[in-house]
This record gives sequence, structure tokens and C-alpha cells, in this order.
Amino acid sequence: MKLSTEELGGGVTRVILDGRLDIEGAAAVDLRMNVIAGSSKFLLLDMEKLTFLGSMGLRSILVPAQAVRRRGGRVVLYAPAPMVEEVLKASNIDTLLPIHHDLGSALAAFK
Amino acid sequence: MPEPDAQSPQTRLTLRSRLEDLALVVPWLDTLTAKYAIPGDTRFRIDLCLEEAISNIVRHGYGGQPDHAITIDFSIDVRTGLTFTVVDNAPHFAPNEQAEPVPAPQTLEDVTPGGLGIQLMEKFATTLRYEQLPDGNRLTLGFDLAPSKPADA
Repeated sequence: MKLSTEELGGGVTRVILDGRLDIEGAAAVDLRMNVIAGSSKFLLLDMEKLTFLGSMGLRSILVPAQAVRRRGGRVVLYAPAPMVEEVLKASNIDTLLPIHHDLGSALAAFK
Repeated sequence: MPEPDAQSPQTRLTLRSRLEDLALVVPWLDTLTAKYAIPGDTRFRIDLCLEEAISNIVRHGYGGQPDHAITIDFSIDVRTGLTFTVVDNAPHFAPNEQAEPVPAPQTLEDVTPGGLGIQLMEKFATTLRYEQLPDGNRLTLGFDLAPSKPADA
């Protein structure tokens, strides 16, 4: 599980998640995700390269998202693959965090 | 479609009750996927359900104790599909016995990041059957051979 970041315009931090966000993957990124959530107000979680998402992976998304929200920020989920998106929908995360498959609309969600 | 050989070690995976052993599941599933041409979406569902089932057994069933066995048996039938049977020797636990269904959170702040594993298994497995054994638990996960959407909430 790899995590990289990119600063986009408007103060948006793109967090690129690459690999399996299973128990092992969650353990590998949790600390860094929480550090990023503590310093960035607008997070675009790029899920295009996520090949797996389990319940511990959902936690790795939810806990930082809650931290960002408490600070008045926003989190957007970008481009999950179909089965990853099914996991988000099955856990009702799609009703709490917006999912966008177009980068333009994803960035517009922060305005 | 080839039938599994009852003597083939590939139809049974034995794990120790350590989260690290979850890493053994993926290559085993890769082998089954290649041998039985399991569709990608179905493989994802199996992967997810086994991840949730095994992690629950390790963390909750065995309480993190690392020296217990967990076995996963695979079988395939053109009528009933793919079946994964997970057996442990942990104290009795029923994943689909809940006092009340947990309502969906209305806001992000309402979310308690936990307890989603069973919910995901129920939605991504075609069938889920739990049985108490004299000395443990048996969880049978069934998956249709044809890819299908999970049930709505």
C-alpha cells in the first residue's frame, strides 16, 4: 500500500492511495493519513489505484475525514473503481462523503 | 469447469490466528482464480468476506492469541457456486445475530468506525451461514458463479 500527496490549487491536497487498503494496508498508511488530516483542510482522496477496500481501510478514511471536518474542512473521494465504490455504498460512506469520477467536479466540490 | 481434487492442498488453506497470516489468503485466492476462472468482481467479494471473517476471528474470536488454527475450505459446484467454509476453535460467536440493526449514520460525525465487517460480509456474500460447532464456529460463505450486485441496504 503506497500513499503519496500532491498539492493542487486552492489549498487542496490530493492523497493518492495505491494498492490494497486491507488491514495491512491500513496499518501502513494510518499514521501518515492522520498527519495529513491534521495539516490539510481540503483533502481529495484519489482512490483510482485502490485495488481493495475492507472495513479497516474504511476506518483509515473515516477517522481522518472526521478530523478534517471538525476543523471545518472537506473531504472528497475521487475515482474509486467499481467494486471499491460498492464497498463505499454498502457501508453508506457515499452518503457522508461525496464521490466524484471527474476531477473537475471533484475540485468544484471544495468551493 | 474442473472439479477440485479432494486431496489437493489448494482446496484448503490453514492459517494461524495472526493478522499477518491474512497475507496468505491473497496468493491462495490468486491460485483459485486462475484455476477456476473466477470473475474479477466475484474474486473481490470473496477477498473482502474472507478478510473480514478472518480478522474478526483473530481479533475477537481468539482475542489476539496467535497460536490457534483457522481453516478455510473451498469447494465449487455448478449449481450452488463457490463455497468457502471457515472453521475456528474460538468461543462461540454468531456474526448475524444482532439485538437490533444499527441505523445508517446521518452525518460523518455520527459514524463509529467499527463493526462494518459483518455488514460487508452480509452484503457481499451471496449466502452466509453460521453454525456453532462443539469446539468452535463454522462460517460458510457462498458466492454465485455469475457476478451480481450486492443486496441493497
